[in-house]
Amino acid sequence: MTEASRNPREYALLPQPSEGPEFVQLLTPEGERVEHADYSLDISDDEIKDLYRDLVLVRRIDAEGTALQRQGQLGLWASLLGQEAAQVGAGRALTDKDFAFPTYREHGVAYCKGVDPVTLLGLFRGVSQGGWDPAEHGFGLYTIVIGSQTLHATGYAMGIQRDGGDAAAIAFFGDGATSQGDVNEAFVWAASFNAPIVFFCQNNQWAISEPVARQTRIALYHRAEGFGFPGVQVDGNDVLAVLAVTRAALARAREGSGPSLIEAYTYRMAPHTTSDDPTRYRLAADLETWKLKDPIERVKAYLSRNGIADAAFFADVEAAADELAAHVREGCIGLPNPEPLSMFDHVYAGGSPLLDEERGQLGSFLSSFEDEPALLDSPAGAVSR
Amino acid sequence: MATLTLGKALNEGLRKALENDPKVLIMGEDVGALGGVFRVTDGLAKDFGEDRVIDTPLAESGIIGTAVGLAIRGFRPVCEIQFDGFVFPAFDQIVTQVAHMHYRSSGNVRLPITIRIPYGGGIGAVEHHSESPEAYFAHTAGLKVVTCANPVDAYWMIQQTVACDDPVVFFEPKRRYWDKSEVDTDAAPAGLWSARVARAGTDATLITYGPSVRTCLEAAAAAAEEGREIEVVDLRALSPVDWDTVFASVRKTGHAIVVAEAPVFVSLAAEIAARVTEHCFYSLESPVLRVGGFSIPYPASRLEEDYLPDLDRVLDAVDRAIAF
Amino acid sequence: MAIKDFLLPDLGEGLTEAEILQWLVAEGDTVTLNQPIVEVETAKAAVEIPSPYAGVVTTLHHAAGSTVDVGLPLISFEVGGGDVAATAEAPAIQGGDLVPSAPKADADEKIQVLVGSGPKAGKLTRRPRKGPAPAPPAAAPIPAPAAQVAPAPSLAQVHVLAKPPVRKLARDLGVDLRVVGGSGPNGTVTRADVQAAASGAPAAGGAAAVAVAPRPDFDRADFDPATREQRIPIKGVRKATASAMVQSAFTAPHVTEWVTADVTEMMALARRLRTYPQFAGLKVSPLLLVARALILAVRRHPLINSSWDDASQEIVVKDYVHLGIAAATPRGLIVPNIKDADGLSLPQLAAALEALVATARDGKTAPADMQRGTITITNVGVFGVDAGTPILNPGEAAILAFGAVREQPWVHVGQIAIREVTTLSLSFDHRIVDGQLGSEFLADLAGMLNDPWKMVDFTA
Repeated sequence: MTEASRNPREYALLPQPSEGPEFVQLLTPEGERVEHADYSLDISDDEIKDLYRDLVLVRRIDAEGTALQRQGQLGLWASLLGQEAAQVGAGRALTDKDFAFPTYREHGVAYCKGVDPVTLLGLFRGVSQGGWDPAEHGFGLYTIVIGSQTLHATGYAMGIQRDGGDAAAIAFFGDGATSQGDVNEAFVWAASFNAPIVFFCQNNQWAISEPVARQTRIALYHRAEGFGFPGVQVDGNDVLAVLAVTRAALARAREGSGPSLIEAYTYRMAPHTTSDDPTRYRLAADLETWKLKDPIERVKAYLSRNGIADAAFFADVEAAADELAAHVREGCIGLPNPEPLSMFDHVYAGGSPLLDEERGQLGSFLSSFEDEPALLDSPAGAVSR
Repeated sequence: MATLTLGKALNEGLRKALENDPKVLIMGEDVGALGGVFRVTDGLAKDFGEDRVIDTPLAESGIIGTAVGLAIRGFRPVCEIQFDGFVFPAFDQIVTQVAHMHYRSSGNVRLPITIRIPYGGGIGAVEHHSESPEAYFAHTAGLKVVTCANPVDAYWMIQQTVACDDPVVFFEPKRRYWDKSEVDTDAAPAGLWSARVARAGTDATLITYGPSVRTCLEAAAAAAEEGREIEVVDLRALSPVDWDTVFASVRKTGHAIVVAEAPVFVSLAAEIAARVTEHCFYSLESPVLRVGGFSIPYPASRLEEDYLPDLDRVLDAVDRAIAF
Repeated sequence: MAIKDFLLPDLGEGLTEAEILQWLVAEGDTVTLNQPIVEVETAKAAVEIPSPYAGVVTTLHHAAGSTVDVGLPLISFEVGGGDVAATAEAPAIQGGDLVPSAPKADADEKIQVLVGSGPKAGKLTRRPRKGPAPAPPAAAPIPAPAAQVAPAPSLAQVHVLAKPPVRKLARDLGVDLRVVGGSGPNGTVTRADVQAAASGAPAAGGAAAVAVAPRPDFDRADFDPATREQRIPIKGVRKATASAMVQSAFTAPHVTEWVTADVTEMMALARRLRTYPQFAGLKVSPLLLVARALILAVRRHPLINSSWDDASQEIVVKDYVHLGIAAATPRGLIVPNIKDADGLSLPQLAAALEALVATARDGKTAPADMQRGTITITNVGVFGVDAGTPILNPGEAAILAFGAVREQPWVHVGQIAIREVTTLSLSFDHRIVDGQLGSEFLADLAGMLNDPWKMVDFTA
């Protein structure tokens, strides 16, 4: 362990991603297609254009989230800027039957799974703790306790084994999460039971202010070997490579070969959340380096250079992004504030007499006031009823 | 009608649960081939298969976390935490995930998970094997908590708990695993959330649960020799509590004493005392007294008889209450 | 077209204010949605705020370099119709009150909250409530303790409702809660109920048998100049006394009889007794001899020394006389009693009377001394009053008012003479004592005072 990597203030990233074929890449940052011995991708031009559209739309959803927070419409936003390819690549590898267990940043995977981005906003606006039905799109609730969802995903995969479903579970987590006991327990269990699960780690280099070097001495994908299943490191900014690798891992799982670990090597271009200040712990120069590896630019370059897409197509995509952004904005501002007594709903499936009593007491208390309950203490603002 | 130990009654109840619903799974350390360190799951792996009665890795958080995933997939997992003192690695999953998922999902996700935990002392064990952590779980919104005190309740309550669509922590009084009684497996069971008047009386009410129920019944029998008739209320459900039964008893006798093994400071007994005082104020002839453990880590086994509330400590509290 | 104000939001760090570093637009500029419009400083990092509207900038409300409170207008736009943002209300403000008086964070210690909108200012005033404060949730009405209702269950079954402090008071005063009527909500027994049961009601019309303790002086200054009234709270002994009086007066049917007697001989006896050695140092008052005569009359008419037990539907005749003497104390009228007065010799009775009076005057009468009286004398004569219609002490069947002893013209041995004369008024519970008994008792008593030799027991 070098001195630099021990001190987060004088951080050093781990040596650049693994050399050679250990680092799976199918599209260079300059937009050149390259081949890989173990991973090929059978994909049409139209499909690549679709991926481009996905990337742009996902970035725009994320940008709108940030703007809305700056305008006071959201209490918080966790940006995925820079990680679009990792999420779209993985998301588009999933079938309808596969079930994704996210952390709280996988807005791109949600998009691919068909989740309306407005659905994700409730918890960031503070009107709910999530609230969506995971079964609807096979996309779990955002889990803020780091790493917990990897065990849920493993259990889900064990359930698939037991009911014979033709599906796999995929757990998303970051580099920081790999330090958590639960993630390591999930690896143990998945290996022990040969569960049909893909562990997808977005190594975006940072856990708030702590560099990945604080979490591990060895590239994260190597961890899998210790637990007895395959691990692969992929260029997380290369949507084609991520797609190929994730498809392969899911196939492995579905055919009964058990778990895999994918380390998508990427970078968190934005702060941890909108309340974070990265200037306190990382260098602007790093951002500049990573801008050159932008996931969307390389696809655009590829499409343009090879005459697959023209100006009209790109304009079209921008227009679609504008429309989606407007939808997100309108949906956000239109989210209803919860009624005070609704806080007692959904604690239990079977209800509770104590809750009924408390609800009644709060109800009486609130209706004992002369004025309308005018100024709700709503997190997104004081709104007149 | 059969005479069963409490442990065997649980075993029979779990067997019924596995028979009645193919989605029921049992998972925990050593629950399969060994049948559980207390034999509560004896024979079940053999009859229902390793896929349904699962020997798990040695990872409590993993037991509960994977149970969450299994429940989302549609199964009804019955988790075992081998001993009370070892539930803490799983505490995060229980409190932040199991307890909150229904609320977080606005009712879309149900987690019908049972978490069985043998608890309490009096078995001469080493550290971490005699704890009474029920307050942590009763305090957590989104969980329900129950405990059985005898073989009849064990047989029925475990089945009702497994069938409940909410996550329930099911505490089993390990020192009573070998207590025997007749169990009528055809009878209609009492409601899961009802308290039970285990012994009727007029002079004072003992409010208790789990391993302390027998202690209180023995104390009441001894008091009867001295001409005092003490009522014993077995709470059975620790969250939510059947307050009506408790209040009716206290209003009748005017004296309430809560008895449990857990350390008294910030215990369930403290909540019961506060609520009884609030609702039975005009009927109280004495303040609500609490008999329980001291504010120390559970002591070495040769001290535990002095630590645990026993017949003399219970009756001393009754004397003090009546003397007020 | 509409003017939309954009208020400075809490940018998620518990901000209460922010400094404008630089404006990125000017008044009159046309801006698009999300176009960066201003840089503000938060937690020592600059944050760009994107425009919430598409439109024309009409007003920059603060200059660069100024510090603006969260919730105040930052910039205003003229916004066209049909704009998505324009259909929204002014961007909602996060957290805190909108009042500028919300506590300001020190510029150097902005609270950084990574995971939400940050701490909010608390309330500073109460919201107005409707009407009177809500009563505490009423329990289901509980019938008054069975002691008041016939047919009565045995006392063992009566469940009394009383707060713990009231129970303690009852125990200290020796009051059995089960026979006390509860005047509190839902039939609960109150402190006043217990005190009333313990002290008993002193004679309503009567004054003290002793030198009167000073009454509260009604100073002019005590009156409210506006209303010219003074309000004295009803509490304590006065309240208990009143409650007892009411209970007595409206439960037992009171009948009062009078007799005016020539007590010259009795007064002479009193003067004579003062010289006897047995009474050295003791006070021998007319009241002593009245008390003695009353005790003797009770012996001959025991039914007058009883109480009406409604709960068990029995008249309890007592074979002991706990003689109550109405007394004024600093806190009001009380009726302490001399236990087993009938067993005392005359000097002992004198001593007991003296002690009772002194103790009462000092305000130190013990609760036990005020319980279980069987018959009472109230000495109205001390005030120069002749007679009255005293109210029974609850739990007793008779009360005697002893009037002033006056020199009056009287027919004595067939001629007008100046004699010492007094009036005795006897009120009795007509449920127990009929007219004949009352009259005979009173006549008997008066006869002994008229001719003290009748107090001698010639049978012994």
